[in-house]
Amino acid sequence: MNVAQLHLLLNHIPTVGSVIALGVLLLALARRNEHLTHAGLEVLFVIAVLTLPAYVTGVAAQQQLRERSVVASDAIRIHHDAALVGFTVTEVAGFLAWVALWQTRRRGRAARGLVSAVIVVLFVALALMGRAATFGGEIRHPEIRADGAALALSAVEGATAGDPDRSMTSSISDVATNSRWAWPAAEAVHFLGLSLSFGVLLAVNLRILGVMRQIPFADVHRLLPWGMLGFGANLITGMFFFIGQPGQYTGSAPFFWKVVFLMIAGANFLYLTVSGKGWTGTDRGDGIFDATVADKAMAIVSIFSWFAVLYAGRMLPFLGRAF
Amino acid sequence: MLSWLESTALAVWVGESPSIWALPTILTLHTTGMAVLVGVSWMLDLRLLGVGRGVPLSAFRWVFPLAGIGLVVNLLTGALLFIKSATTWGTSIPFLIKMLFVIASIVTLVPLRSYVVGGDAEQPVVGGNARLLAVASILAWTGAVTAGRLLAYVMP
Repeated sequence: MNVAQLHLLLNHIPTVGSVIALGVLLLALARRNEHLTHAGLEVLFVIAVLTLPAYVTGVAAQQQLRERSVVASDAIRIHHDAALVGFTVTEVAGFLAWVALWQTRRRGRAARGLVSAVIVVLFVALALMGRAATFGGEIRHPEIRADGAALALSAVEGATAGDPDRSMTSSISDVATNSRWAWPAAEAVHFLGLSLSFGVLLAVNLRILGVMRQIPFADVHRLLPWGMLGFGANLITGMFFFIGQPGQYTGSAPFFWKVVFLMIAGANFLYLTVSGKGWTGTDRGDGIFDATVADKAMAIVSIFSWFAVLYAGRMLPFLGRAF
Repeated sequence: MLSWLESTALAVWVGESPSIWALPTILTLHTTGMAVLVGVSWMLDLRLLGVGRGVPLSAFRWVFPLAGIGLVVNLLTGALLFIKSATTWGTSIPFLIKMLFVIASIVTLVPLRSYVVGGDAEQPVVGGNARLLAVASILAWTGAVTAGRLLAYVMP
């Protein structure tokens, strides 16, 4: 299976997944059911994580198709721009869902209006992803743009298609290649974010493994948002590198593994956020938390995944072609 | 002296071996050591500045052995990376700036360690000096990481 096939598989996740997440959240709203809300937020977080490989494999497919003239490169570029917007808003929705889950975990409930905000942002994300998906379908299925008015592609065609330099992704790529400081500055931020995320996840997982047992788990757990901050900084700078120089990453084995281990680390982050007994801030009294074997296995997998993400990232120039 | 360092068999191996265990692994270990050292130092700094006030400071003793491991790894790998191009690094202002930041960061760890490990660690309120040290530590590490990363771009 090559990356293009992987994209055809993964590209359904942002749209279909968002419909499911939205459905669960709306159902929860109608039934006023907290558990259902929780489930909907969890689904949304997973969708947001999986949208990363959906996007990344799409760019890889674009790179592969660049050498062939059989497929309309304008259509691909428009699809890519639309997908980038959809991806960004989906990540925002996923982040807000995480905040809501976090608050539920720490305080018993999410801030007033936050879940509604999640639903609104998710609705926008779904619309944008639907648009991106339509453009994506039009790359290979010109028959779906047969009738004039519904010509989604032609609506934007005049604006950008004729001029590749005006597309959003190529503007980002422009900054990445031509600005003297943008890339190094983003690299510096990427390393700072890495240290922050790594420090937090190491602390939390070591606590699960029994280090500093005398302190309540909840107090270490409280550090998680700082890990999220570091990760957010690295997602943004990482995407800047990726969009700036996609050719460095799309065919690269270490980059592939980096994304795979990021998925595992993301799953672990969700687990750390929502799961476990005695993990909340409210039961501080008996907060001496003894992890189960499963918790400890999870902690080991998480520490290993973060090392793997770091290793694959740092090895990009040597095992792959990046710099 | 610098050119002698650069001509040692070890330095040549670091710089010229095509092996994945040479430069790539050394650089990766240097980044990993950085993540551990800077990451756990920041955890302590954040606590001193008021994040997770409920956690007794004495619980942060674990920070120092971990930071120590990161530091040893980075001193070793850093030394290897240095001798590879000793004549370039030894005379480079940006590199010396990074070293100043690194030294400043490590220097802040020493009084922080005696504050946390020794004596009055159970006091509920973190004193002004310790807070100042925490701020200095955050800034110095930020400077060290940033300078280190930028070296790859400002050096020939």
